Amino acid sequence: MIARLDRMLGATMGAMQWLALPLVLLLFLQWPLRDLVRCCSREANDLGQIFFALFVAASITAATRAGTHLAADALAQHYSPRIRHMLRKAGALFGLVPWAAFVLVASKPTVLSSVAAFEAFPDTANPGYFLIKLAVWVMALMVLAQTLVLVAQPMPQDDV
Amino acid sequence: MEWTGVVLLVLVGAGIAGTGLPAAVVLITAATLGALLGVASGTIPPAVLSALPGRLINLFENDLLQALPLYVTMGLLLDRLPVADALYRACNSLLPRSSGAPLASGMVLGALLGPMNGSVGASVLGLSRVMSPRLSADGVPAATRDAAVAVASTLGVLVPPSLVLILLSDAMLSAHTVAVTQTGRSDRVINTQDIFHAALVPAGICFVVCVVIAWIVGSRIKRSHSAASVNWQQGLLAGFSLAALLLLLGGVAAGYFYAVEAAAMGATALLLAGFVSRRLTFPVLRSLLHDVMAITGALFFLLVAATTFTLVLRLLGIDHLVDNLVGGIPGGDAGAVAVVLAVVGMCAFVLDAFEIIFVIVPILIPPLLVRVADARWVSVLLLLTLQSSFLLPPFGYALMMVRGAAKDPSPFRPFVRALMPFLAAQWLLLAAVLAIPALVHVGERASDLTRTPEKALTPEEIDRQLRDMVPLPELEPPR
Repeated sequence: MIARLDRMLGATMGAMQWLALPLVLLLFLQWPLRDLVRCCSREANDLGQIFFALFVAASITAATRAGTHLAADALAQHYSPRIRHMLRKAGALFGLVPWAAFVLVASKPTVLSSVAAFEAFPDTANPGYFLIKLAVWVMALMVLAQTLVLVAQPMPQDDV
Repeated sequence: MEWTGVVLLVLVGAGIAGTGLPAAVVLITAATLGALLGVASGTIPPAVLSALPGRLINLFENDLLQALPLYVTMGLLLDRLPVADALYRACNSLLPRSSGAPLASGMVLGALLGPMNGSVGASVLGLSRVMSPRLSADGVPAATRDAAVAVASTLGVLVPPSLVLILLSDAMLSAHTVAVTQTGRSDRVINTQDIFHAALVPAGICFVVCVVIAWIVGSRIKRSHSAASVNWQQGLLAGFSLAALLLLLGGVAAGYFYAVEAAAMGATALLLAGFVSRRLTFPVLRSLLHDVMAITGALFFLLVAATTFTLVLRLLGIDHLVDNLVGGIPGGDAGAVAVVLAVVGMCAFVLDAFEIIFVIVPILIPPLLVRVADARWVSVLLLLTLQSSFLLPPFGYALMMVRGAAKDPSPFRPFVRALMPFLAAQWLLLAAVLAIPALVHVGERASDLTRTPEKALTPEEIDRQLRDMVPLPELEPPR
């Protein structure tokens, strides 16, 4: 079950990382569309915002899996693998799980009403704004799923 | 409960330094603890915490934050394409033949690539890879080599439009908005462009001074090998890259396009260069995008965690406490700024620039700006403090990164000795900007002013300022 969840998260990250390419392209196109073509730059910006929201929502879990989160390792590198594993579990259980659960519950009315109405961008009336609000749920759900994978990992043996 | 916020801040510092957990996890855990304490004691009404999702949605739709993945993409592409190496070799061969040229070239490379690399950590890794082997081959001692890489890596903090500068601009905009609202002043709230312009002169001075010091230090070294040569392809690549970089940096500084657009242009150009040169094969691209996502996620999670943490601190009433503390600092504007900068400098022992910008700036800077109206001056002083604190022995972030990245790190004492001339120059510059605020207002027009004039303007002055802001069309010559 946990292994399947782990594989599913890996596959999702692998697919969502490609959003970076259209994001770069759309944000680049804003300038020529605005100053040269004089058309559709707002549409490029809105679409770029949707890609950005979904990309960064998934990127947090990608960073956890890749181990790139900013951390000061000067003292902790001297700790045993068991201690480090326990610290990671404590951070996940007492920090990430309650936080992600709270975000899911507290944002429920906002996200559900936005999705139900297919909310459009307020400034341009372009469709798809609800996806930005939905990205908050994507982020929280992925953080929860990755935390489950971490908590289920077996305790490592100390190298003594 | 105001002091609970301070205790939480100390806990965060201790947690980051002592547990080795990601800073974002420590911040979220501290926020959870603070929220529980606040709700249990009745200080925080539970309903108020539901403001959090709204704040998170604001992050997802923030235009400026779109720069994050773009800068990360650029930095990683620069690392994978031979641009940095070509720039370093070309600069080395253009400078007069001297032992000082390799170190000075390293500084130039740091200033050019630093703003694109995203963070000090990324700059250290990139510059270590390009500079260290070349300097080593040129007979530069390990201590001087490591010091040069550390200093060059921090030049990007100050040179517009670096990611640090963009994110600080966003934080300063919020802080200034709070201060202007609270005081009722009719100042214009500063924006990214204001801070770019304000940083230009101090950044230029810092760059020139570092290059000169590197040249002098390098000139005293007996070289054991000839300089790395540059072939025509590398020269062409360096020339094209330099032109593109200067075009982007200049375009943003001059206001022709936004920082996000410039970053997107740079990333698109580098992607195209990678495809055309066939260096960006499918496996390389996939690995690049994996890294882009992982590094972007690290920065964004920090921002999400800091947003959660600062919300809880505010609800616990830390704003009032900091307001009173900053308001009670003696010594006028300069005294208040100096004390706040010292606190920021101390935070830099355990926090990265991004952590300081996301966590410390929103708490400390609004009350400072209530007292000190010149937001441009405060912004540049903050940047200089951040830059200098990265190099502060023994725990400066850049120092630790350089020593971690080096294959055989130099002994600590010679390393610190090699750093001292650069550090002394940065402190002098910091003192100069603190003493002479005009350094951040060079070339400022009336339309750029953010502060309300202290004395009433004459009708002629108002007329002149209006003409500056809205240039009148040329009159047609009489026929």
